[in-house]
Amino acid sequence: MNNQANIILKTENLCKYYGSGDSLVKATDHINLQIKQGEFVSIIGKSGSGKSTLLHMLGALDNPTSGNVFLDGENIASLKADALSKIRRRKIGFIFQAYNLIPALNVWENIVLPLGLDGKPLDEAFINDIIATLGLTEKKRSLPNTLSGGQQQRCAIARAIAAKPSLILADEPTGNLDTKTGDEVMALLKTSAKKYGQTLVVITHNEEVAQMADRTIMLADGRIISDGKLMIENEEEVAAHAEN
Amino acid sequence: MQKTDTVFNLALQRLRYNKSRTLLTGIAILLTTILLTAIGTTGVAILDMNRQIYSLSDYHTSFNELTPEQVEILSSHIRVEALDTSETFADIINGKMNGVLTYTDILRDDRAETADNSTHGLTLEKGHYPEAEDEICSSPIFFRRMGVEPVLGSKMTLSFRVNGKGEILTDEFTVSGLLPDVEIDEGIDDSRLMWNAYVSKAVLQKYADSGLYQSKPSATLRVYGEDELSFDEMEDRILSVAADIGLDEMYVKLNKAYLSTVTDPGTEVIAIITVICLVVILFSSLVIYSIYYVGVITDVQEIGKLKALGASRRQLAGMLYWQGAIVSAIAVPVGLLIGFLLPYLCFPLVLWAYQSGSAINSYSRDAAEAVIGQIHMFSLPVLLTAAAASLATVALSLRKPIRMAKKVSPVEAIRYQENTTDKKSRVGHHTVKVSTLTFANLTRNKKRTTVTILTMGLSCVLFICVSAVLSSVSAEDIARRNIPKGDFRISLKYAHYYDNEYPENNLENLVQQNYFSDAFLSQLLSIEGVEKVEREPGIILSSTDVPSAMYEEYDNRQPLSYFTREDVAELSTYLEQGSIDYDRMTANNEIICTHVYSFKQYGLSIGDSFSMKLLDGSREIPFTTTLTALTQPDSNFSFLIMTQDSWNNLGLTCDPTTNIYLYADDEHYDSVKEALLKIVSENEHFTMYAMDVELKIGHSGVDLTRNPVYLLLSLIAVIGFISLINTMITSIVTRKKELGILQALGLSDRQLVRMLSGEGLVFTAGTLLISLTLGNFFGYLFYKWAKQEHFMSISRYHYPLWESIGLALVLLIGQLLITLLISKKMKKESLIERIRNQD
Repeated sequence: MNNQANIILKTENLCKYYGSGDSLVKATDHINLQIKQGEFVSIIGKSGSGKSTLLHMLGALDNPTSGNVFLDGENIASLKADALSKIRRRKIGFIFQAYNLIPALNVWENIVLPLGLDGKPLDEAFINDIIATLGLTEKKRSLPNTLSGGQQQRCAIARAIAAKPSLILADEPTGNLDTKTGDEVMALLKTSAKKYGQTLVVITHNEEVAQMADRTIMLADGRIISDGKLMIENEEEVAAHAEN
Repeated sequence: MQKTDTVFNLALQRLRYNKSRTLLTGIAILLTTILLTAIGTTGVAILDMNRQIYSLSDYHTSFNELTPEQVEILSSHIRVEALDTSETFADIINGKMNGVLTYTDILRDDRAETADNSTHGLTLEKGHYPEAEDEICSSPIFFRRMGVEPVLGSKMTLSFRVNGKGEILTDEFTVSGLLPDVEIDEGIDDSRLMWNAYVSKAVLQKYADSGLYQSKPSATLRVYGEDELSFDEMEDRILSVAADIGLDEMYVKLNKAYLSTVTDPGTEVIAIITVICLVVILFSSLVIYSIYYVGVITDVQEIGKLKALGASRRQLAGMLYWQGAIVSAIAVPVGLLIGFLLPYLCFPLVLWAYQSGSAINSYSRDAAEAVIGQIHMFSLPVLLTAAAASLATVALSLRKPIRMAKKVSPVEAIRYQENTTDKKSRVGHHTVKVSTLTFANLTRNKKRTTVTILTMGLSCVLFICVSAVLSSVSAEDIARRNIPKGDFRISLKYAHYYDNEYPENNLENLVQQNYFSDAFLSQLLSIEGVEKVEREPGIILSSTDVPSAMYEEYDNRQPLSYFTREDVAELSTYLEQGSIDYDRMTANNEIICTHVYSFKQYGLSIGDSFSMKLLDGSREIPFTTTLTALTQPDSNFSFLIMTQDSWNNLGLTCDPTTNIYLYADDEHYDSVKEALLKIVSENEHFTMYAMDVELKIGHSGVDLTRNPVYLLLSLIAVIGFISLINTMITSIVTRKKELGILQALGLSDRQLVRMLSGEGLVFTAGTLLISLTLGNFFGYLFYKWAKQEHFMSISRYHYPLWESIGLALVLLIGQLLITLLISKKMKKESLIERIRNQD
């Protein structure tokens, strides 16, 4: 019972199909998974394995063809657009590969944006703490186009954390960054999520990133082929796993 | 060749890819061509109509109040090329009918090889111009109204007063000729129509011989030199001819319309048309420019890629020019066709309305009728110019965007993000609301926001500005000149001169009859639906000792009435000379003159003192007064007015009421009118004015002239609106991904619509602000000019309230609709697709 109460995210037979007949594509096919509060989970797999589709459905950005997604015990697969918007701004923080900051807003505004959309009062000390943690204190007024890739992604991380969501979903957060910056950003993301007690689900191609996770889910052809702590040494082995 | 093909194909594919932009550009070019063609074609029609009207009345001037001796000198004057005379022989007496018997003649026309005076200058449908003493000709409707069958040879008995004075005489006449027939609305009271019938020289001679008729002919004449002289020289020549025969300048009336046309053919019309067309070109090029400008900004990456792939600056320019050319190739010919058909179908309607309006007055009927249906509008040069102007507009609009495209550097362009500005930081807001997002986006591209607001704003300024004049062209104002208050006016018809033979027609005698007695007013009030009856007094001032033309004209008689303290404001607004102070005027018994033209004609001046008699029935009250102000208000005041207090001090014994105004409730208007017509028909001294008839007369002149102008204006407003549609579509399409991200971060659909319509609202508010401030300012100036020029009888400023409200509503609703349509279309794409959108 206690174990159940710790589950923040759960899917039941989650399917997303595109097309029909011969051209039917099963992007995700009967995925069942459970993620606990505070857990750091990475999802790996080859291109087209269904990682992003899964993440989108977990993040209420896309509707499943069938199956359920429970976030904090609430089935979000059946909610309407407005309710989903609320879920997204209150319970989920997104981090995209391309940072996706709003170019017309400065760093501070980008970070407080989800809070503003929800009409919530600002916990200024908390936000400033995040900004300091991510090393953006000097850049609060800067516009996104003046920041480096690493800075932009740190800003995106701050934005994802600011609304104190229970779940942070990151889609290839280091994909656009060089290795060194990517490592830094990932370390910051992990530290912040831990510091603020948030659950972190990261899609990645990067083995090192996957290894940082408490648990790694491997997908192939829309199905989970392995689930556990990643213990492999190199990418070839990951590929070999996927083949199996 | 191969290169050109590639560039052409690229242009074609880009047009196909950016469908909505192509469509908007196409509509803008189409509307521009329609406007230019329609305006040009209307100009051709106006010039042709003027030419035809002027060729019907191609005289240079008229000389009035001539003596037969003066006519004699004129007919052999060396400077005179052609000379027509016309004499009003007598007033027709037939109940309430207003009509005159006229004799007209062509005395000289050096232009004609053989003198043909058989029709005396009239266009006869049948028969001949009266020759014998008893012959008469007119239009069939005149004879029908007189109860005579309109066929040649019909006999009729006609009563008339020679020179409008003297005894009523009766003679028998035979119809000798028929003019073209006219249709006249049956609902118009006889007293509001003016008839004209022509008689022979012989009958004039007969009455002249018996000493009853005093010939006071008017002449219309042409002088030599039309082709060589300027307007001013022609005027000098005409005045010198008048001086030669000893005629005062006051009686010379130049045919300015014709003279200015022949001495300067069509310059004014062409100038006005050119200015309007330039304004259209300016607005259109702004709009088309803003579409291309926004297009280049949006496509900067694509242009950069093309450059990176090796496209030369020339090829890029070629590509954009081809884009313009392909759209124009479709839009311009269609625009030419619609632009030509629009006036081709509308112009005869406008003219028809003008004609039916002028049918009220038989004098001006002929000219309008003769030209209808024969106006030539097709002009190849005009169509070619309109096409060239449209193409030039497109080329002009493309110049800057092409320069921008040429400057795009391939490296920068591929990295380009639309927000790239020189700004590195932004002060920003502490919290971010939907409104913060709205304003952040508007300020992100200030130039685009400004260009859009300016384009829309300026076309709306034009709309409001012209509306200010058009809304002041009011049928009601025209109607209110005859019925200043209430729904009906019954006025006492009295002789303006002293009627010796029928003294009962003189006002001082009429008032003794007490036609507007309390009993009569009670009778009117008892008609169901009559709510109120108001009296308006008038009295005759008479004098024999004022050496002024003022008294010569009407046998030393002028009407006098009063104004109230409340009227001072209006009188002061139109004050021309002197000053108006109610209390001073009461204390000193001062009077105001309310007619500028007559004031000058009579040679009056401020400070003139008069010793006169007031005719209070049979009693004469000596009256000394000073003229202290000259004004020309819209309302119908008597020629001379004093203060109400002075009037009350006169101690009049007769009831001086000359007009009564009746107020009827809407429900009973028709039955009240019917009852009044019956009452009025029983007293020949009553003339009745009904609001519906006066409005109809007003409308006939106003509406169909006004509506086509509104149509043209709306087209200009639509062009401006296209700019808004373009900006909004572009700003949303280019931000598709960004909007997707905002939604991923929790922006709900409702918040999205609020944000986008907020952006639209800023455009609307900016546009309204510009158009309502500048538009009203220029509109008022335009109105003042129009009033001064007597454009369409404008006399009073009406704020274009409904037009402003309409404009605001169209902008608001239109902008909301665009927002809803675009966001609906956007929703068809899933959120994921939008976030992935890399374009």
